[in-house]
Amino acid sequence: MPKLGTSIRIVSAVAAAALLAVVVAGTAGARPAKSAGATISGAGSTFVAPLVFQWQAAVGGALGDTLNYASVGSGAGITQITARTVDFGASDAPLSADQFTACNGCEQIPWALGGTAIMYNLPGVKNLLHMDGPTLAKIFFGQITKWNDPAIAKLNKGVTLPDTAITIAHRSDGSGTTYNLVDYLSHVSAAWNSQIGTATAVNWPVGVGAKGSSGVTAVVTSTPGAIGYADVAYSLANHVKYFAMKNNSGKFTTPGSRGILAAALSDPKPAADNSLSIVNPPKKFDNAYPISTFTYVIVPLQTSKAADLKKFIFWAVTQGQKGTYTAKLRFVPLPKPVLVVAEKAIAKIHS
Amino acid sequence: MSAADISTEPTRRPFTGRRVRFGDVSLQLVAGAAALGVTVLVGLIVWKIVDGSRLAIVKNGWAFLIRVAWNPVPGRELYGAASFLFGTVLTSFGALLIAAPLSIGVALFLTELAPRVIQGPVTALVETLAAVPSVLIGLWGIYVLGPVLRTSIESWLHTVFGFIPLFGDPSAAGASIFTAIIVLTIMILPIVSSISRELFREVPSELKEGALALGTTRWEMVRGVIFPYARGGIAAALILGLSRAMGEAIAVTQVVGGSPTIQWNLFSTGDTLASKIAAAYQGAVTSLQLSSLIYLGLVLLVFSLLANLVAQWIVRRVARKHGVTRGGHV
Repeated sequence: MPKLGTSIRIVSAVAAAALLAVVVAGTAGARPAKSAGATISGAGSTFVAPLVFQWQAAVGGALGDTLNYASVGSGAGITQITARTVDFGASDAPLSADQFTACNGCEQIPWALGGTAIMYNLPGVKNLLHMDGPTLAKIFFGQITKWNDPAIAKLNKGVTLPDTAITIAHRSDGSGTTYNLVDYLSHVSAAWNSQIGTATAVNWPVGVGAKGSSGVTAVVTSTPGAIGYADVAYSLANHVKYFAMKNNSGKFTTPGSRGILAAALSDPKPAADNSLSIVNPPKKFDNAYPISTFTYVIVPLQTSKAADLKKFIFWAVTQGQKGTYTAKLRFVPLPKPVLVVAEKAIAKIHS
Repeated sequence: MSAADISTEPTRRPFTGRRVRFGDVSLQLVAGAAALGVTVLVGLIVWKIVDGSRLAIVKNGWAFLIRVAWNPVPGRELYGAASFLFGTVLTSFGALLIAAPLSIGVALFLTELAPRVIQGPVTALVETLAAVPSVLIGLWGIYVLGPVLRTSIESWLHTVFGFIPLFGDPSAAGASIFTAIIVLTIMILPIVSSISRELFREVPSELKEGALALGTTRWEMVRGVIFPYARGGIAAALILGLSRAMGEAIAVTQVVGGSPTIQWNLFSTGDTLASKIAAAYQGAVTSLQLSSLIYLGLVLLVFSLLANLVAQWIVRRVARKHGVTRGGHV
């Protein structure tokens, strides 16, 4: 019996020590590692996350601030900034009127620019295939089911297209990339606009749902005849082919920095809420890639961290746009007119 | 030991002794706190789920349970759980149907038939399978298993059993309900087989040897001695496997194809409750969508609970009927 008592005593002593260790570690961890700068915390978009993570180290060096970012998705980012549990939120889709009301004194600032590639997997066809908006909408509706459909053949004269069935791969999770694509489809197809609509997740008429850009890319690469979509960096990294998209000038453009920048210039005047719509730009932007998008940072106009937040966002839209951060990830530096908009918006933040 | 023995035994009443023992008190406290903690935690989770789904319950009511829809576009929002519930039932029971004979077979082989040399390595491998993270199995499912199933197995099943609606046209991509069933089978197989192995090992060798000495074949011994002895335990293991299959989210999300539809063809895309929550929770933009996702969680919680209760009831009935003695605790 004494033996049992001893062992219980040992166990409880160990447990107490462990508990103490946890408490001590917890208090220690609560203190910021560096006390020099402020800690700025943000949450939201997974689309912009790789870029924000690139900024993290640099922000520490340049501003002495600690930047925390949680890549939890645009929706959760909006929820968190609305509840003010973070200093900024990040969303690929601009806030709706309802969301603005709920957020109670928030503003959104465009802070990154990218494009969505329409990937395909068609073994045996070497050419870079062409595609246009109305045909793409019909494909995503499930109305065009074969690769040798006359509508696709017309866009790709001289290419022998096989009788392969088309398989659509789309995101099963909410995503800014989805928003960009369906926003475009709503612009080029009245049927899409009225029956499906624009959101970060929609009720897809056909296709295979997969989680994340990685999931969609996996379905596309493992399925001959598949069509899917992801941000450009993703398709390049995975060596997946993507369509040259016909824009309103009749030109076929790819989602490179030239095409995306040309599209970005098509909307120099943002709406009152700072949102910019650059999908399907008008004819005169003849180099524009039609499925490009801005993504936004959402901040409260009045915040106790105003000074630090202003410094950080200003850094992000200027220094943060440099090629060292953006080029590898295929984000495109913000064009001048948008920078002006962003700077004006930053000036409005106060304590 | 009779009741009188217990009451007279002094060590059974530690707190009436001369001194309060530190060890006993702390054991009481630690163990009590642990039990209380779990109870409170479960209560909090259930409360949070009910509270979180309140908006969706108010907006949809019971119609949510029988509606086939998932449209998260603001202004056109319409949600329903029917297709996900259907998918959960189809995938989890499908996986159980395949995994049950396989895993019991593996366990029998390892305890009764396998030579010692391969017993160790195979046991270790089966155990390793249980340790593979589900996200990896899902990844393997979409890159390797899916394409193989699509190009060979599905088309073969369709040609041979095509007259059964379950085996319709092969899937377009590797992602389908069928792929999800196979992935879940792989995930629950090691659980069921490990538990069954332990149960089979517990069967007293006198019983087994006695049966063999009476001239039974190995199969008769297995059927007459091992199975009745371990029946209750195996059923418990199967229930555990079923719960695992119902709750699995990530691996299913990766291979099921995420479409909110009800189709009898196993080779078409579908979705399950857990998989939908895992896929859509982060990206939920509107409060109604978020609430509807939590409502799906509530449906899953209630459904798994019911399935568990029914399964336990069946086990108990079977046990009573056959007068099973040991191992029959569920």
